[in-house]
Amino acid sequence: MSVSNLLENWAEFRHTHPVDDVPHDPYKWAMSIDLDACSGCNACSIACYAENNIPVVGKDKFEHGQVMHWMRIERYWPEDGREFPDQGATFLPMMCQQCEAAPCETVCPVGATNHTADGLNSQIYNRCVGSRYCSANCPFKVRYFNWYDYPTTENVWPAEMTQQLNPDITLRGKGVMEKCTFCVQRIRAGERAVKNEGRILRDGEVQTACQQVCPTGAITFGNLVDPESKVHQKWKAQQVELTADEQEKDKEEGGTDLRGYRILEELRPYPSVMYMERVRESAI
Amino acid sequence: MIDNNFDRRDFLKVLGWGGAAVALSGCGNTSVEDGKETVVSYVEAAEYVAPGISVYFNSTCAQCDAGCSISGRVREGRVLKLEGNPDSVINRGKMCGLGQAGVQHHYNPDRVREPLLRSGDRGEAITWDKAYALIAEKLNGVSGDQIDFLTGTVSGHTKALLGNYLESLGSKNHFVYEAVSPAVQRAANMKSYGMEMPRFNINKAKVVLSFGADFLGAWVSPVHFSQQYAEFRKGVDGQRGVLVQVESKMTLTGANADRWLVVRPGTEGILAMGVINALGVAGLSLSADVAAAVKPYDKERVSKDTGVSTESLVKLAALLKDRTPSLVLLGSAAEGYAHGSQNAAAINLLNQVLGNVGKTLEASAAVPFPQIAPTIGNTAALRMVNNRLADGQIKVLFTYGTNPVFTAPSEMKFKENLGKANFRVAFAHYLDETALQADLVLPLDSALEDWGTLVAEYQPEGVQISVQQPLMEKLHPETRGMGEILLSLVKQRQPESYKAFDDYYAYLRTAMLKNKSEFANSAMDDDVFWNGVLSAGIINVGGNLNKLSSKLSTNIQLPAPAEQDAKYPFTLIPSVTANLRDGRHANQPWLQESPDPLTTIVWDSWVEIHPKKAAELGIVEGDIIAIESKNGTINAQAYLFPGIHPDAVSIPLGRGHEAMGRYAKGYGVNPFQILDRVFDGETGELAMHETKVKLSKVGKRVIVVKDEGFAGGAQHGKKIAMTKSSDQVDLSEEV
Repeated sequence: MSVSNLLENWAEFRHTHPVDDVPHDPYKWAMSIDLDACSGCNACSIACYAENNIPVVGKDKFEHGQVMHWMRIERYWPEDGREFPDQGATFLPMMCQQCEAAPCETVCPVGATNHTADGLNSQIYNRCVGSRYCSANCPFKVRYFNWYDYPTTENVWPAEMTQQLNPDITLRGKGVMEKCTFCVQRIRAGERAVKNEGRILRDGEVQTACQQVCPTGAITFGNLVDPESKVHQKWKAQQVELTADEQEKDKEEGGTDLRGYRILEELRPYPSVMYMERVRESAI
Repeated sequence: MIDNNFDRRDFLKVLGWGGAAVALSGCGNTSVEDGKETVVSYVEAAEYVAPGISVYFNSTCAQCDAGCSISGRVREGRVLKLEGNPDSVINRGKMCGLGQAGVQHHYNPDRVREPLLRSGDRGEAITWDKAYALIAEKLNGVSGDQIDFLTGTVSGHTKALLGNYLESLGSKNHFVYEAVSPAVQRAANMKSYGMEMPRFNINKAKVVLSFGADFLGAWVSPVHFSQQYAEFRKGVDGQRGVLVQVESKMTLTGANADRWLVVRPGTEGILAMGVINALGVAGLSLSADVAAAVKPYDKERVSKDTGVSTESLVKLAALLKDRTPSLVLLGSAAEGYAHGSQNAAAINLLNQVLGNVGKTLEASAAVPFPQIAPTIGNTAALRMVNNRLADGQIKVLFTYGTNPVFTAPSEMKFKENLGKANFRVAFAHYLDETALQADLVLPLDSALEDWGTLVAEYQPEGVQISVQQPLMEKLHPETRGMGEILLSLVKQRQPESYKAFDDYYAYLRTAMLKNKSEFANSAMDDDVFWNGVLSAGIINVGGNLNKLSSKLSTNIQLPAPAEQDAKYPFTLIPSVTANLRDGRHANQPWLQESPDPLTTIVWDSWVEIHPKKAAELGIVEGDIIAIESKNGTINAQAYLFPGIHPDAVSIPLGRGHEAMGRYAKGYGVNPFQILDRVFDGETGELAMHETKVKLSKVGKRVIVVKDEGFAGGAQHGKKIAMTKSSDQVDLSEEV
């Protein structure tokens, strides 16, 4: 897709998501994260570093907000003004929500970030010129900019550590934006493998690194348009519609007893990640 | 997975070839362009190495002693990433962040690469032959009782060989030291249940009452318990499990509790007795002696002593009475006092009164081969070695898998006492604080290059022997596996008995084949059996169940809550975090940059102070605070933390290294150093929570480097991280 083609046919590219007349076929990758299972242990975040060649920036650059963690755990305290947080904290794994109408995509001056047919928000590193407009426009603040050339920065990957780097993924140089990809390298490898068998991926054949490691199984990942997939069933049971900016169940008076919701849905980015609310016991 | 019908050792040689080639041409910054290195073509690839195709080999994670089985992704001879082995009953395909960082232990740039002999204050590289000859020379004429081994927890065939070596030296002095270890609890469990570590079935409990057991973070077998916890939350018979956590400083588990009860430090046992009393009041029938024992613990008194409201106490008792079975756990927060054993006894009594023994707390299996069963560490071992050193009873000291110079309270003067031994040998991965004091440093293979077996203390089903095998060729040619070194050393003493074993691999294989009938059909072909073992990475043996008893002991002497010390008004809680534990992995940068879950702080230490107390003292976030105990002072940045008792402050363990490597040295402070020398009355374990401190501002302020944004964990009315009350949801309808 050349840039001129992209610009000339912009309306058409924008049109495909998210509407019913052009359904995703055969894939729409999506997630469901159960906050009642998430313990906030950070295993997902470290697994993401291991899988995706994320640089460790060190204390000084962390202080300047230059940390690169694609997957981060946000910790929230209750805001009820009590002396102690006696119902604990809330942990929220936050990464790119792979929005169907992503605010980052519309503002990229060079079309470096755009939508794939299987519903991923992709980032093309060698097209990126580092304007950082996408990051400014992202309501979730999950895009990370390479302020330095980390592969040549001292103590980021000293000699031996380069051998750990995942060869399926490129190293990003200075001036490039990056973010969670839903482990696209695993998806593509899986697709290629099953193509030889003349079929499409079944549920569970591709796991993201964070999902695979999660000790409490809080993360479900899969193909939303596959009725057999867990993620499809979860979204359906929770009555969360990908193409809605306000869910029918939330319009009911008195609220709903379902836990599924999407963060900042009202901004109409149509996120591909559904969270399930944390639960706290009422009898104690 | 590759078929098993090939010779694995040849395969590794082959892999070594591939590994060397890729080290040159793999991604990263090669100097191919300037002609310093060459690209090796894969046109004629080595057998079993298909360029671009990953293969997975099972092995065992050695980042802690939980024995999780892992599956390493290997491509072109390099290990890239570790995944959990789905067939392991301990971790069932899952891992923790600490385990993920195992590759950074392996590829660490600061590993020791050759044997080092002290020459003044420097280490001089020597050959292994010279190192072995030196050990033989130094041991010559030294009687067995003057030779000590101070190690971390050991199990498997390393332990067996270590035992054989000690026997050949005529020494019985193997001391096993773990700086953070539930040793008080083991002794209490032995008394209450007849075994040190029973099985805990969190997934079968409807209520879990945990007295400071951080089972989602750093307690015993966190990956296993995290999975149990997930089941527990989904519910037993459709009823979602309820977690109540009692502690003075919020742990990761406490942060996940339905109700987090903050108690005055040290009063956990009083609260447990109070709950029994309240259960009696609520109508649970108590035996006469239990009723008599808990009589003084009426709710008003307990509330006054612990700071937990009478209302919470009554609610908790009602919940425990209504929803059975429950499970009561205890962790370091309850153990770490001079009366830690009494706290533990009171908490175990609560479990017994609730009738949980045999339901959610079951018998564990005994390891059928005692010579490879784990020998578990405690802090009493350090005290004994320290006393022996001080008295000049140790001539030669070997240290392995432990860093006592870093973890011993400075008041024990361990570092000075170490100087009294004539010859100190450290088996080491890094030049850590202890290795720096050694005369001879022997460099070890990483866990991903070494052979071995590991048997975890906590066994959820039967007994799992986790097999460790190399996932790639050695990175550094002059490192050796611990088993390999021990075999060489024992060969010095008894060459005849061990001459059949060329190397540790041969020893291990022979040892396993010898017990083939225990593991599999004895008629099975040796190679088929052995390859099967390596392919699976684990061996499951049934193991007879230990005999579970439930002996009610009501002889519990709990002291009144400690009066506030006028000079040192705060209790110091040295907290154990999931990633850094006792600090042995502090040189792995992923762990340094992974935010602490509760404070989100990275790359540094901090002192947690309750916001109310901080306001009283005029302390704001980032103020550098001097934390002074009777035994020293450390300076740390203040973090205002709502999850802590106002009379306590907390500093995480694991940072504050003065050596070890570029990612560890100089980051943070080490609270081990200022601990008071107080011991548990019964077990002699170091009472980690007995240190009293005072705080003073040093007049400097820094920006706390942390992940949480300027909002400081507030959502400002946006629906971001949401919570529902359990009566508003119907979990049974969920998929």
